[in-house]
Amino acid sequence: MKYMILTYGSQLDYDTMAGQPAAGRPAWSGADFAALGAFMESFAAELAESGELVETRGLANPVHTRRIRLQEGVPVVTDGPYAETQEVLAGYWIVECDSFDRATEIAARLAGCPGPPGVAERAFADVRPIAESQAELEL
Amino acid sequence: MPDRAAEDLLRELAPQVLGALVRRYGHFDSAEDAVQEALLAAATQWPADGIPASPRGWLITVASRRLTDLLRSEQARQRREDTVARWALPAELLAPAADQAAGAADADDTLILLFLCCHPSLSPASQIALTLRAVGGLTTAEIARAFLVPEAAMTRRITRAKQNIKDSGIPFRLPPGPERRDRLGAVLHVLYLIFNEGYASTSGPSLHRQELSAEAIRLARMVHRLLPGDAEVTGLLALMLLTDARRPARTGPDGSLILMAEQDRSRWDASQIAEGVALITEALPHGPTGPYQLQAAIAAVHDEAPSAEATDWPQIVALYELLMRISGNPMVALNHAVAVAMARGPRAGLDLLAELGADQRIAGDHRFYAVRAHLLELAGDHAAAHDSYQEAARRTTNLPQQRYLNTRAARLSGDS
Repeated sequence: MKYMILTYGSQLDYDTMAGQPAAGRPAWSGADFAALGAFMESFAAELAESGELVETRGLANPVHTRRIRLQEGVPVVTDGPYAETQEVLAGYWIVECDSFDRATEIAARLAGCPGPPGVAERAFADVRPIAESQAELEL
Repeated sequence: MPDRAAEDLLRELAPQVLGALVRRYGHFDSAEDAVQEALLAAATQWPADGIPASPRGWLITVASRRLTDLLRSEQARQRREDTVARWALPAELLAPAADQAAGAADADDTLILLFLCCHPSLSPASQIALTLRAVGGLTTAEIARAFLVPEAAMTRRITRAKQNIKDSGIPFRLPPGPERRDRLGAVLHVLYLIFNEGYASTSGPSLHRQELSAEAIRLARMVHRLLPGDAEVTGLLALMLLTDARRPARTGPDGSLILMAEQDRSRWDASQIAEGVALITEALPHGPTGPYQLQAAIAAVHDEAPSAEATDWPQIVALYELLMRISGNPMVALNHAVAVAMARGPRAGLDLLAELGADQRIAGDHRFYAVRAHLLELAGDHAAAHDSYQEAARRTTNLPQQRYLNTRAARLSGDS
């Protein structure tokens, strides 16, 4: 069964990770960011090792977002639709494992991700089962 | 690393970095500003700190960060003003062209940028300014100086041009097949205009004008590298080199013009001539033969002649006749008349001029009168030549040209 693990962040979170303090949140140091990178690398490597990792990606700054929707029947694009503090998808892992509980266990390990004070308290991850077919959606 | 080498590297990388940014993030207008700022940062940091291991990667990283900042302040402003920026998807994006998949993604970004900057929705002046900035990597101040306009005016021109491109929603990719030929014609024309702006004009600080010609040659070399099989691209590069080769002999110490017949040919740039001749020799048999190749061939015949008298004028006449068949430009007919006069005598040329005088596009032009005066002088009719030189001088606004024409007229009235 496949599950998607999702993490979130706002444009301001991206700023602090890039070294800019924002809205009372401290900036990440170079060492902080390097520690994050090392954690994510070993997290992915272990999942690959166990054969559970399907794919993982991080997403670019929320400011680089295009939203497409119909307006009077015509597809129209809006650039950068998110407010600075709005939390949006920042990265994901697709894992293939035996159960929702196992997927949850994997996601829970993200709690061990290093970061400056306060970050871990605010951070959260979601786990959602992936529908493998249309039939599954129409249960 | 000397500053000069760093600058050359930056100018070479500028369109690649802009292309990478626009391809990944869109926003041609803001991306262009971001790249300019990254280039500026590199120009100040690299000479002091050394060139980074990957200069292109460094520039893309710095420009991307800057683009993110620019977009955020723009989007924040839009949200404050409650005007959410929306744009309709161009039809091209909804119905992709059939040839889109084949190699479109790895086509050279520099070429796409050139097509974008020379888009037919822009005026020629805007095409030139935008090309010099976005592809040439020149600053607005440098472009303004070269065109002798205030920097604020040039800033407005470039901003408007970028807005225009943004509003038109042109996708960042090569124009589809059948359109590409026409659009390449527009690109070559812009490069030709940039070259002429630097070469033909004698007003203003000559140093800055020469830089325009050099820039046009650099850009033409770039296009030739990208499209080595296009005979007209090769022809344009050859034409520029063969024309520019005569520059050192073209003006006297006081800045006055010297006609080709009277130039000291030992001062012509032999290596540029050799390169131009090799290029046009390679291009001509590959056809189709276009106007740039023919003009280059004519320039080559001039450049290879040891003197005006020893020039192969019959061949030049033949080349002008080919050129007249594909171009309705009356200047071509005027040059043809000169070549005929040199090949068959001044009277034959004057007969052609008499016919050409019916063409309203050229009949009032100072160049028509200058040529007529020159041929009359060769034919020995000094009184008529004198009047025609004076008429030509009255019709030009260019001071060195006026001085030249009046001098010729005065010399004739002296010996009659």
